[in-house]
Amino acid sequence: MSDTLNVTGLDESERAALERLIVTLADSKRLMGIRYSDWVLGAPSIETGVATSSMAQDEWGHARLLYAMLKELGLDPEPYEYDREGGRYASLAALDEAAPDWAVLVAMMTLVDGALSVVLESFAGGSFEPARTRVPKMLAEEKFHSSLGVAWYRRLADTEGEARGLLADATSAMLPSLLAWVGASDEGAQALVAAGVLEPADDRVTAFKDAVRELATSAGVDVDDVDAGTDWDSDRGRSSGRPNEEAVARARGDLNRGLLVE
Amino acid sequence: MREIVYDVFTRKDRGDQLVHIGYVDAFDDETAKVYAWRTYDEEKWFEMNVVARSAIIPVNHDEGPFAKARSTDG
Repeated sequence: MSDTLNVTGLDESERAALERLIVTLADSKRLMGIRYSDWVLGAPSIETGVATSSMAQDEWGHARLLYAMLKELGLDPEPYEYDREGGRYASLAALDEAAPDWAVLVAMMTLVDGALSVVLESFAGGSFEPARTRVPKMLAEEKFHSSLGVAWYRRLADTEGEARGLLADATSAMLPSLLAWVGASDEGAQALVAAGVLEPADDRVTAFKDAVRELATSAGVDVDDVDAGTDWDSDRGRSSGRPNEEAVARARGDLNRGLLVE
Repeated sequence: MREIVYDVFTRKDRGDQLVHIGYVDAFDDETAKVYAWRTYDEEKWFEMNVVARSAIIPVNHDEGPFAKARSTDG
């Protein structure tokens, strides 16, 4: 484990890089929760719906914890949670649109949640103290998400019908932007590695590929043949694009704005 | 999609009796564990177990849900 990061000693670019990482993780957790919540009443079984409901709550809890880490940088989390327009959201591109079918949600459950967990594990083992103390509990909860996702992924991949094709298409569509994010190596990402906040990009990519290789292969996709996407937005630390407006309004809690008591 | 009935047994505290609290339908052991943990989360359980209903051997009843599951393998 790295030495503890002295946040007050960070220069402006290093602080910006850490802020970008925290916001990307938090925004992704919030959007992941929304995507799960869309399937609470449309999942293949009551039990699966209950599980997606529970996972949605987990993700929003994780998002809240992650946004709160911004306080360590002297930043107020509230504007990040409630006052940004959609173009400023840094959530992963694979979450920009709602899952149109169960196969896409299963791909999100395994690949997107998997990518987030790989980076969170790296974050938890790094030099930023709040991540060391708060992220392990998130990762423990994520093990249930992974168990469910992997079981469903294998089940759909084992079919010979439409479901397998939808799963393969979703996997192929998501992997490039996920590989770009997990393996980010722009100036900001390199600053975080130098500060011991994250492991080197190659190590993160290796961990992600190892985590999803067998699953992707079961759907006929070779993760080692997929190139990382190149349409990188270094301001937000994600691929280009933005989440759809309806999801952003839900993430911000627009309908409940008048009830906000924080 | 064929699903298996799993019965859920818990104890709230160490030393408590193991109690049958319900069941879930799942397609394998792993999903049964997730569904049970997420569905019956009203308590902070000390212990939770799932058992495929077809694995339960009725002792003194030859009818009812356990006997039926045994005879139909699920």
